[in-house]
Amino acid sequence: MNKIDLHIHTIPTVSDSPFSFKLATLRRYVVEAALDAIAITNHNVFDRSQFTAIDNELDVVVFPGIEVTLDCGHILIISDIAKLNQFEKQAQQLHSRITQAHDSITIDELTKIFHNLEEYLVIPHYDKKPAIKDDALKRMAKYVSAGEVDSAKKFIRAIKDDAKVTPVLFSDIRIGDTLDNIPTRQTFVDCGEVTLAALKKCLQDKGKVALSEAHGNSLFQIFDDGQKLSTGLNILLGERSSGKTYTLDKINASHDQVKYIKQFSLVQQDEVACEREFSRDLQRTRSQFIEEYLSRFKIVLNDVMNVDLYSDDREVDNYILNLHEAAEEADRRDAFSNCALFDESEFSISDDKVLIELIASIRQIIQNVEYQPIINKYVDRQSLKQLAVELIELLWARGREWKKKTIVNEMVLEIRQALKRRTSTVQVPDVNLYRVSLNKKKVETFSEIVKCLQEHAVISEEPIQRFRVIATKDPFAGAGEIKSISGVKTTFRESFAEYAHPYKYLQALLSNDDLTRSEIYKYFVKITYSILNPDGFEVSGGERSEFRLLQAIKDAQNYDILLVDEPESSFDNLFLRSDVNKIIKEISETMPVVVVTHNSTVGASVGADYLLYARKEIEEGKVVYRLYSGYPTDLTLHSLDGKAISNYQITMNSLEAGCEAYDNRRNGYEAIRDKG
Amino acid sequence: MKLLEIRDNLGYYLDANNAFVLIDKITKEDLLRLVDQTLNKDVEFDEYNDEAVKNQAHQILYKSIFEKLQDLKVRRKEFTDESKRLYLQEHEWYRKK
Repeated sequence: MNKIDLHIHTIPTVSDSPFSFKLATLRRYVVEAALDAIAITNHNVFDRSQFTAIDNELDVVVFPGIEVTLDCGHILIISDIAKLNQFEKQAQQLHSRITQAHDSITIDELTKIFHNLEEYLVIPHYDKKPAIKDDALKRMAKYVSAGEVDSAKKFIRAIKDDAKVTPVLFSDIRIGDTLDNIPTRQTFVDCGEVTLAALKKCLQDKGKVALSEAHGNSLFQIFDDGQKLSTGLNILLGERSSGKTYTLDKINASHDQVKYIKQFSLVQQDEVACEREFSRDLQRTRSQFIEEYLSRFKIVLNDVMNVDLYSDDREVDNYILNLHEAAEEADRRDAFSNCALFDESEFSISDDKVLIELIASIRQIIQNVEYQPIINKYVDRQSLKQLAVELIELLWARGREWKKKTIVNEMVLEIRQALKRRTSTVQVPDVNLYRVSLNKKKVETFSEIVKCLQEHAVISEEPIQRFRVIATKDPFAGAGEIKSISGVKTTFRESFAEYAHPYKYLQALLSNDDLTRSEIYKYFVKITYSILNPDGFEVSGGERSEFRLLQAIKDAQNYDILLVDEPESSFDNLFLRSDVNKIIKEISETMPVVVVTHNSTVGASVGADYLLYARKEIEEGKVVYRLYSGYPTDLTLHSLDGKAISNYQITMNSLEAGCEAYDNRRNGYEAIRDKG
Repeated sequence: MKLLEIRDNLGYYLDANNAFVLIDKITKEDLLRLVDQTLNKDVEFDEYNDEAVKNQAHQILYKSIFEKLQDLKVRRKEFTDESKRLYLQEHEWYRKK
């Protein structure tokens, strides 16, 4: 197997943070990481003289390459060293196109510059930002040999999924003055002699790429000293102060996207504060559900916000008052006020909402595919089509009618105004009584909806392992509750006085300048979350911690590595065995997990894929922290410097408090069992 | 049910006690009740014409109110359909959940 890293930066460009390249640092990396081949892939630039200097200095295969900024993601183009002249020219062309940080080129431009991309090793950012877009990947499929990922988890995911391209894991390192840690992201390839052609062929076969040389994809390198971890479940054992937490901290510090559940972090210290924080967290994670649940109410509310019953009432009042006044002055009418158009009211115009919705419904029946056989049993499709046509024609006719009436209305209004200017007679005002009536109806229906909304009910139930998260709705009990969910520094006391009258309450909220209109929908109903234990009661403090642990582990799916430090320090064995082990095992099938434990329920029952043992040793008067590792079935675990330790011994010591204690316990249990 | 009537050259409307009252006594509340009845019940009105209503004040009042109610009567079915469908899906959603 050859170890390769084909993504290395040696020139700071507009796309990088500044660094100062040192050839010695690159040499150190190549030697210490024991690489067999590298590629120099700077952003949109290729410096031949630097490349030649690197190639001359290093004893490994060095490929010339470039990382191209496409408008659809980043892509590595790696050339055969035999075609250096051609590659240099093409890279120069590319460089002249991309001079600013936000510049990019299209796939068409890329193929124009590099002519035949099949001659190159083409590796787009695949499961790594900025990842190439799906449609772009499809367009480039015939040139692409592999896809770059940025974690062992993503590598394994791509390996397991037949639909995904062959993954490669590279460092993407900037080689500067110094190197604090040797990167651990490289890929092993089984390609014989490392040539561009051999690599291209090898990458077509997922079976020929691996995260580790001897262990395929079951292990991957985690530290620069060569320490490996399983890509599945790792159990880290060790006595107190032997360096276990230090090891987890080191993994956390050296990798991005690590979910680290620290010891005791989920156990409540202050019950009241903990409960408050827990509820807040829960409310936040569930806010999407609340949004969705209230989305329909929002539609209604937005419409009702535009209904002003008070203004409607004034309008009717004004109409009737002026009508009476005009009637009283009837004998004083002159030539202008006697014109028929002087008191003419406007034609009412319908928006034909009902007809439009009706046509849409019929159209849906006609176009429905899934239930066509049932529809056909009862309705003649031809008749339905004729019905749709007739209604559509009616809609058009009415539309024309409304258009004409709108024109007439405009004319009437203009004439009424002109006549009014020439006379002192009171004019009968116009009022749209249809709209006034519909608005009343809207408010009535709105009030009914609010009443339904405020009735107590469980609106969602979600099982999470052995718990159930339930959301309930209730009316707010007081202004204080509304204030606390609003997060606004204002008083709700006056508004709340109208809470029993939804429309009046809405008006009160709207008149409060401290409130944002778009947030008002939240102040009508109280939605509360609670977690119930298997007995159907609200969780206790301890159970709340259990729930949080399960949630935190579940949340780890969004990360690349999960670290759990001594879950037993906070939870009982029954819970560890029934829930934690199960969920940890499940998640380790998709990502690397490291669990530090002293507990046999976790350590011995969870079914680890790899065992690590941290040990503090005194050598020549000095303290040495050493990590031993191996498979759970290995008789001995080994350290990187060649020391060995008995697996049985350390497992007994770490998980069972020693062989003697284990035997005593076992005998004790046997005795009880015999008696039973 | 008749809501507007012309009798003895004068206009009348049906009040809350089902009695016909001179149109010049009509109030806002009366008008809103007539509107409500027009949109929800089968109603009729005496057709307005200048000859039948001689009183000039009644002419202005009766004509305007008649035209408004007549327009609503024409749109009664539309109003019924529109009201029934008003926030229907939303109402059903929150009634169930």
